[in-house]
Amino acid sequence: MKFRIVLALAIVLGVLLAGCQQAGEGSVLDKIQAANKVVVGTSADYPPYEYIDETGKMVGFDIELMEEIAKRMDVALDWQDMPFDSLIAAVQEGKIDMSISCFNYSEERDQLVDFSDPYYTSQDAFIVTDGFSGTFTVPEDAANFKVGVQSGTVQDEWLTAELVDAGLMSEANLSRYERVDQAALDLQVGRIDILMSDDVPAQAIVSQYDGLKIIYQGMLYTGPINIVLPDGAADLQAEVNRIIADLEAEGFIDALAVKYFSE
Amino acid sequence: MDVGRFIQYIASGTAYTVSVTLIALPLGLFLGLIFSLLYVYGGKVLTRIMSIYSTVMRGIPPIVLLFILYFMVSGNINLSPFWAGSISLGIVSSAYQMEIIRGALLSVSGAQMMAARAIGMSRMRAIKHIIIPQAFRMAICPWSNEAAIVIKDSSLVYALGVPEILRRAQLISASTQQPFLAFIVAGLIYFMLVFVTNRLLDGLDKRMRIPANP
Amino acid sequence: MPNPILVVKDLTKKYGDNIIFHDINMTVNEGDTDVIIGPSGTGKSTLLRCINLLTKANSGQIWLDGEEITAPGYDEDEVRQHVGMVFQNFLLFNHLTALDNVKIGLSKVKKLKDDQAEAKAMQELDRVGLADRAHHYPGQLSGGQQQRVAIARALAMDPRIMLFDEPTSALDPELIGEVLEVMRKLALDGMTMLVVTHEMGFAREVSDRIIFLEKGSIVEEGPPEVLFYTPKFERTREFLWKITELYGKKESDS
Ligand SMILES: Nc1ncnc2c1ncn2[C@@H]1O[C@H](COP(=O)(O)OP(=O)(O)OP(=O)(O)O)[C@@H](O)[C@H]1O
Ligand SMILES: [Mg+2]
Repeated sequence: MKFRIVLALAIVLGVLLAGCQQAGEGSVLDKIQAANKVVVGTSADYPPYEYIDETGKMVGFDIELMEEIAKRMDVALDWQDMPFDSLIAAVQEGKIDMSISCFNYSEERDQLVDFSDPYYTSQDAFIVTDGFSGTFTVPEDAANFKVGVQSGTVQDEWLTAELVDAGLMSEANLSRYERVDQAALDLQVGRIDILMSDDVPAQAIVSQYDGLKIIYQGMLYTGPINIVLPDGAADLQAEVNRIIADLEAEGFIDALAVKYFSE
Repeated sequence: MDVGRFIQYIASGTAYTVSVTLIALPLGLFLGLIFSLLYVYGGKVLTRIMSIYSTVMRGIPPIVLLFILYFMVSGNINLSPFWAGSISLGIVSSAYQMEIIRGALLSVSGAQMMAARAIGMSRMRAIKHIIIPQAFRMAICPWSNEAAIVIKDSSLVYALGVPEILRRAQLISASTQQPFLAFIVAGLIYFMLVFVTNRLLDGLDKRMRIPANP
Repeated sequence: MPNPILVVKDLTKKYGDNIIFHDINMTVNEGDTDVIIGPSGTGKSTLLRCINLLTKANSGQIWLDGEEITAPGYDEDEVRQHVGMVFQNFLLFNHLTALDNVKIGLSKVKKLKDDQAEAKAMQELDRVGLADRAHHYPGQLSGGQQQRVAIARALAMDPRIMLFDEPTSALDPELIGEVLEVMRKLALDGMTMLVVTHEMGFAREVSDRIIFLEKGSIVEEGPPEVLFYTPKFERTREFLWKITELYGKKESDS
């Protein structure tokens, strides 16, 4: 019985993968220019990088940056919001042309998609409640507590690789959340002791949730953030990198950072 | 923060939820009806195929199927996430609806078929005029369950980027840091949709009930 | 000269290795009412189902009105329109009113126009005395009324022969009479009928011939007065009197 299901699933997946091989014909950049439109995916639930304002419009550091990039590519910009976990797959399958959603480089991801040059460098942060009385001097101290993290992020990868897989921390003590705000709530009520996230959203969280503070900040894993591009789309990558370099040189990105990251 | 606006933003996802449901449910019904007829009356090979279809489709979490089907359905044809999601959910639902209808078909006694054949009806005609109308009535109640499930499962298309109620609630939750408000609003909307649907189907069930002496 | 409507020749039916009946031969003449009797499990129901092709016999032939209906490729649905069947437990279509039960064969099989089908159905219901129950559902009718609707449903197709499979044995004793009355009237009107029943009163009064089936073959057949009083085999008489007493008692008990 079991075997039959697995077999059927394998067949379905086989068909699926066979279908996907044919997708990547012709250059993505050509396609974008021909359509005069670039479709960009983001997960608009990660302020201040990407979120929605009171009118339901997408705003944020990444959003504004991407709008400028599209303008300089001289194409219209079509936003496609989807959950963070779906973005890489969507780029891979050509459902979207690229994705900007506070992505950090990782080797695992690099096997599936390509990355632009970094457009910003961020830090990691550990958040605790004001009443936190444990010992926390180095990041590895997190292993002694119940830790929460947004699933699929590089912080998740760091905790998994450096603490859980290294045997310092039990898997049961690591809670993975779909979104970081869920984790913040659990931290407030004491279901977890520590929340690890990117430094920028961490700042937003401690300013909006009562009784939370950042106990440690540093560049562990996050570091540079990049735009995710389809695997092998060299001309598109070159174009995006060129624009990022220009924007950096012009001070556009620094101005954006001041607008969104200094509270 | 303007709470009213946010609630309105979440509520405007209802159109997607309703549309997805209105595509997925009838599609699932259509496929489920055909598949269940093949299952019950189709002979050994078709029965086997349908049984495998049912087991596979129901044995995998809907979200996994949604992903597989999304990329399969819109692999080469360029379907929007909305259509791909709706069709995928319809296919997922077809397996459940097939089982509901199959159960209803089997609960109409085989003797009804014999009586229909005895007045010269062909098998097809007997199925159409005698078996299905009776099975249909028995299927309404369990079908009402499936309708509720599809309404709620329609939220899964958020994973493909369709801005329905749940995804909007997530975005509001992230942007306002007020998850309770966002999810309570979403929950209430789902509840209303399911409630109204169930009442309508209850009404249909009562209207269609075959009169009998107590 | 009697005109044979139904001729059965060397009919044999098996379920796996289990021989239900073998080498059955019988002829039912136009206008006759023949009654089949026999112990439970001898294959009476199976025989009727074979005759209207609801079940396939393993060998043998059947002629209806001189045409061999067991010939390969013969249209079975067509045959069943001409062979009416009444079942022990009525088997009305539960979702249809009495009128629609009678009408559906006319409109969906015979393809009559709606008003024609309706008029004909009403006429058949009237024939079994149920015109006033036309818009009742089966669940709102007594067993006797349901069986009369079932008879009307079969009659509506204008069959050449009517098969009855213990039409009264699922009925409460006080409801048996109304169904037998309808059947008696039918017989008098000249309908050709083959009836499996244990109602010996009916058999003696109405039937032209009684066929005694036991252990898969016909033991004896003949006019009722012969079988009741001067049968060839003692066990025929024994069986006849046994069921007369059994069913007679049941009737007088109530
Ligand atoms: N579909 C079937 N498969 C196998 N055996 C069957 C089937 N239908 C009937 N039989 C068997 O055939 C035999 C004859 O059954 P049938 O119903 O024809 O008897 P009957 O004379 O009508 O009995 P009763 O008086 O109880 O109605 C029984 O032993 C029954 O178990
Ligand atoms: Mg019987």
